[in-house]
Amino acid sequence: MNGSFRMCIIVLVLGTILLVGGALAEKVESLGEHNADRLLIATTTSLDATNLLDLLEEKFKEQTGVTVEHVAVGTGQALEIAKNCDADIVMVHDRAAEDKFIDEGYGKDRRVFGYNYFLLVGPEQDPAHVTGLNGTAAFKAIKQAAATDPRVVFVSRGDNSGTHSREKLLWKKAGYDYAEVNASAWYREAGAGMGQTLTMTQELQGYTLTDSASWATYESNLSLVPLVGNDENFLNVYAVMRVNEEKCPDVNTDIAKRWINFMISDEVQDILSTYGVEKNGVPYFNPGRGSADVMGVTVEETSDKVA
Amino acid sequence: MNDLLAGCETAIRLILTADPEVLNITIRTLQITSSSVGISAIFAIPLGAVITFRNFYGKRLLISIIQTLYALPTVIVGLLCYMILSRSGPLGELKWLFTPYGMVFGQTILIIPIMTGLTIAALQGIDPGITDTIRSLGASHLQFLKTHLREARFAIMAAIIVGFSRAISEVGTAVMIGGNIKGHTRVLTTAISLQTSMGNFSLSLALGIILLAIALIINLFMSFLQNR
Amino acid sequence: MIEIHNITKAFDGNLVVTGVSETIQKGEIFTIIGPSGQGKTTLLRILGLLERPTSGEVLLDGISVTGLPASDPNRRRIGMVFQNPVVFKDSVFHNIAIGLRYRGLPKEEIRKKVLQKLHEIGLSGYEHRNATTLSGGEKQRVSLARVMVTGPDVLILDEPTANLDPVSTEVIEDLIRYYNRVYNTTVILSTHDMIQGQRLADRVAVMMNGRFVQSGTIFTIFTRPCSVDVAKFIGIGNIIPGTIIRNEEGLSVILTHGSLIHAIGTFPVGTKVKIAIRPEEITIHTGPDRFSSARNVIAGTIEKIMPIGIISRVSVKSGDLILLAQVTWQSVRELDLRPGDRVYLSFKVPSVHIMPDEP
Repeated sequence: MNGSFRMCIIVLVLGTILLVGGALAEKVESLGEHNADRLLIATTTSLDATNLLDLLEEKFKEQTGVTVEHVAVGTGQALEIAKNCDADIVMVHDRAAEDKFIDEGYGKDRRVFGYNYFLLVGPEQDPAHVTGLNGTAAFKAIKQAAATDPRVVFVSRGDNSGTHSREKLLWKKAGYDYAEVNASAWYREAGAGMGQTLTMTQELQGYTLTDSASWATYESNLSLVPLVGNDENFLNVYAVMRVNEEKCPDVNTDIAKRWINFMISDEVQDILSTYGVEKNGVPYFNPGRGSADVMGVTVEETSDKVA
Repeated sequence: MNDLLAGCETAIRLILTADPEVLNITIRTLQITSSSVGISAIFAIPLGAVITFRNFYGKRLLISIIQTLYALPTVIVGLLCYMILSRSGPLGELKWLFTPYGMVFGQTILIIPIMTGLTIAALQGIDPGITDTIRSLGASHLQFLKTHLREARFAIMAAIIVGFSRAISEVGTAVMIGGNIKGHTRVLTTAISLQTSMGNFSLSLALGIILLAIALIINLFMSFLQNR
Repeated sequence: MIEIHNITKAFDGNLVVTGVSETIQKGEIFTIIGPSGQGKTTLLRILGLLERPTSGEVLLDGISVTGLPASDPNRRRIGMVFQNPVVFKDSVFHNIAIGLRYRGLPKEEIRKKVLQKLHEIGLSGYEHRNATTLSGGEKQRVSLARVMVTGPDVLILDEPTANLDPVSTEVIEDLIRYYNRVYNTTVILSTHDMIQGQRLADRVAVMMNGRFVQSGTIFTIFTRPCSVDVAKFIGIGNIIPGTIIRNEEGLSVILTHGSLIHAIGTFPVGTKVKIAIRPEEITIHTGPDRFSSARNVIAGTIEKIMPIGIISRVSVKSGDLILLAQVTWQSVRELDLRPGDRVYLSFKVPSVHIMPDEP
């Protein structure tokens, strides 16, 4: 065969080789190095949203030459990925899930590096009158108001994220059976990340629970307002742990340990204390250093270097 | 509507200024998609030819299954490939998860059914007189297949275009296997998904316009080849 | 030389070819004629090695070719042209060259041969034309060239001009005769057009109900059809039932519808027969004068005069007997024939052909 068909084949093959093999200029970084110089973090969208991780990864690379990458998914999926040995580090904000992860032998050397608060955000008119109430009282108010006022709607992440777990806990603390709440007409499960959930909440003019870092990132696009926050029920503690090499022999243990120490190092804790203050007024993440009491954890967890 | 216009504006701006991040994402998109289309074609077209011209028990069932796989949700393919490429999975040793190689793997698997099925359709659409002529001219088995493929080349090229379109436009597989890692596995569709979830609609639309522009260029190129 | 040994072919239990045996000489043009749907195409496909027979075999120069693999050199000695002109979506050059490419000939040689063939079929200069843009006749010429350029010993054509206009048909027929003469190619062709058979064939076989019911020269079949079906197919206008009442001097006398007809034959008295008389061999006379040496004379009345091209068929009724005579327009004018005229039909004894009456 000859003519245009052969030419077409040649172009296809050449094109494939060219594009696959060639990196065009410095603008394209190389494809997939998967060797000792790579650390993969499975983390949550709330940590990713502020671009904090991008910044820290850059600094780590400067210091150690190691490329760090992260995949941002829900807490549930992050822990699953780690269990499958597809990540070296896990950074989430769900104490109960973390405990289970460690107890099952997958996680080691957990350190708590930062915290912020969840916020209950909602429409300015606040039909459920939650303003000024504390965490559990606010949830109670929403449920009761919803019974009579059709304007009152609660939107949930519904995706096993850290935020979702906290929300379920709060319903329980308020004295309700979650299954019942879940089945109510005024309860909407978004099954989505924080950004999308907030957008949906805005459209429905409803209430939702969000972490403050995500809120700070998205609030400019939204007309919702924060109504309840800074309550001990809304404490949101972020931890980092590494995947146990006994369960996952290919894990980059040395680098993982260095990352954990990096996260609780003074340098990073200093960064956290100022990160976001300009735009947000307060840091996106309060440094964990020295705040063990506030967070309800041991001092060792905030400062003990990993051997 | 405002978002749509803003989207067009943004698209033009991003293209003209050769915005580095968009360029990075776009080139990676092209690399991954063209690789998967190329590899798929190498498997799918001969496979389609062999299936078409061999009679075996269950042939019609096989073709039905292939056509059913057109409807595979991309997330499912992503999930299945994730389980295969995971460290705890059979191909974990390759360490392709969260890398572009893994994404090529996933997209290739995604589009092989389409390209195989459409190749079969293209070959079955050939006038039976052509098949008789080829046989009566004494073609060997390989010559038989090659001549048929050449005769159906326009329809097969259409199959390649369909495969390309499905690959470049899918999100589910790219996000599950790639992880949408900035600077590493982020492609146009996963970036669009991210920007949309963050509420940056006009940027999403801009990226969408860029994606379509690429598809348009490829199609024009293909039709240029066909007309020569 | 081709030997066909008792070929049968059944599709899903239906016997389409019911037993064909024949020997075809090298360089012969052998034509299979017959109505559509009687197995011609199937038989030719078997001879062209596109189908396997249910039983029987085909030998080419003594070698059995029926089960050979695709690229066996013996298989490549047989080429086939089909009823629907088939061209590849490619240039005319590529179409003709394809068989040579299969055989791995060098480019220069291919080019020479293809250009020569283009010249032979009268399409020089068409090399780069897209073959799908050609007319039906041109496509069929290309198909023929495509096969002949590979130099086959046997050329099989399945109703090659059935879909073509008369001019293209003539071109194709000329080419077939040319190739047969110049390359001594054995030609096996099928047609439902008996006149084409007459033009092209050395020998003819009539295929009906999946078998050859009669084979021989075209002259034999025309004048001595072996059965009513064959007679009807070849278009003998007069087929009449009758009974042998006498035999005298090597002639049979047949009583039919009240008239007596003399014919050559020795069937036993009392046999029920069908007699066939070609309309062309019946002469019309307006008066009972000299009938030359015609032994058969029948008086009757003109029923209808039907013009067909430059001739006319005149049906004449005599009692219950209706005979068709064929005359030129001129004769109709000169004799001033009109329906209702009383006329005399005369025809010679040899013009009457006796066939056994089939139930």
